[in-house]
Amino acid sequence: MAQNLINANPTIYNTKNIVRKETEAEYDDNIEDPIDSQEIFDLIRSISDPEHPLTLEQLNVTQFEHIEVDNKNNKVLIEFTPTIPHCSMATLIGLCIRVRLLRSLPDRFKVDIKVRKGTHQSEGAVNKQLNDKERVAAALENNHLLEVVNQCLSTASLRGMEIKTN
Amino acid sequence: MPRLELLATLEGHQDRVWQASWHPTKTILATCSGDKTVRLWAPISPTNPTEWQCVETLEGAHKRTIRSVAWSPTGNELATASFDATTGIWEHDARENNWECVATLEGHENEIKSVSWSATGALLATCSRDKSVWIWEVESDNDFECLSVLQEHTQDVKMVAWHPKLEILASASYDDTIKIWKEDEDDWYCVDTLSGHQSTVWSIDFDATGDHLVSASDDQTIRIWKMYKPNNPQGIPTHNGEATWKTICTLSGYHDRCIYSVSWSKVNNYIASVSGDNTIRIFAKDTEATTDEDSPIFKNIITEKDAHGVYDINGVSWFPNERHGDWLATVGDDGIVRIWRVIE
Repeated sequence: MAQNLINANPTIYNTKNIVRKETEAEYDDNIEDPIDSQEIFDLIRSISDPEHPLTLEQLNVTQFEHIEVDNKNNKVLIEFTPTIPHCSMATLIGLCIRVRLLRSLPDRFKVDIKVRKGTHQSEGAVNKQLNDKERVAAALENNHLLEVVNQCLSTASLRGMEIKTN
Repeated sequence: MPRLELLATLEGHQDRVWQASWHPTKTILATCSGDKTVRLWAPISPTNPTEWQCVETLEGAHKRTIRSVAWSPTGNELATASFDATTGIWEHDARENNWECVATLEGHENEIKSVSWSATGALLATCSRDKSVWIWEVESDNDFECLSVLQEHTQDVKMVAWHPKLEILASASYDDTIKIWKEDEDDWYCVDTLSGHQSTVWSIDFDATGDHLVSASDDQTIRIWKMYKPNNPQGIPTHNGEATWKTICTLSGYHDRCIYSVSWSKVNNYIASVSGDNTIRIFAKDTEATTDEDSPIFKNIITEKDAHGVYDINGVSWFPNERHGDWLATVGDDGIVRIWRVIE
């Protein structure tokens, strides 16, 4: 089967083990914890790649540095990096990130998802499709596609812990 | 300063609402939703515009989202465009006082995005993600014949809108253009392609005369286009004896996310726009600033922020006639329909 994969031998990165340092303020219910890049990264880092039993973080598709959060103005911008510049899975990966955030973030957030500049040969087309909510809505009414997305999201709650194989 | 007053908040849809469409003569609003239904809303009493109820729910005919709903010019029929690739035709049965799906138009390969009736009600247009625009002839006994399949857009076609008087059709697309279509002896062809928007054109609407068109885009601008006929006194060049459309005004810097819908009032000439930035904006022609018909100035006279709370607003529609010419309906991702009145 391996020869049919889009990217049969992806580079696997050591996860940087970014873990939020828990502060006393976070345990104090009287202090508001605004949603920040770390929270967004934790939500998406453990989404599985559609092809490999690896997380988007392990494949360096999502990086903490490429998430911008403007909590006050309800804006989130995520840039992701496809493993190869002609990756035909780029739209699906972006869709998985979008669905994860649709399901996890408060409704007030407007989320923009983009391919990191210069990392994909069709970045304009991929970005346009990922940010067209009508096409996203139509895609999510496709049961087969939704199953694939849900499969990729089944590991998302690990928030950076390793996927246990076997 | 003019402002918007919220008349009513209509709750009932179970998913995001995509479009609102007013009955051509009666005070009835049709809305369509991701919940696969169309709801018809009317005031409980004709003298009190603040209390509305859902008078009818049209359901069962579509398997997926209903993206667009349009009244026929008589108001006796409704057309529904669905992601399930079919168009439903609904008829009001006066004896039973209910609505029934009397025809299903098939042919598009995938999601239908918009449906529109021509001014006489003789023609129906639909458009789809399959990049095509279809023109249907309305025959007797709920029969519809496809007259033409127009395949010149290179991407997903988002909206179709008929000229208010003539058999001229406009279509807006994900390919960033608007196309104008006309018939010549049963042959439909593209008269003009309107380029200028930098991203998806989501919505278009003619003014009352049909000589102007407004368009709204993902590029966060609104453009106003004017039709120039051959041998126009302004000297705008035309080709093949066809009219040409030129942008005469661009409204930018008002919305900071995608503009999903625009409506040009046939009564007071105001333009209303709604956006993913949660805001309704209303623009009026500034006749004090200039009287130049070829480069008019439109000023933003009303801004209603967070009109559907934190949610995207997907559709806006002015009441079509004098009776409530100052009314506006908006629909949002919150599943809510709102009726507003302009207070001058």
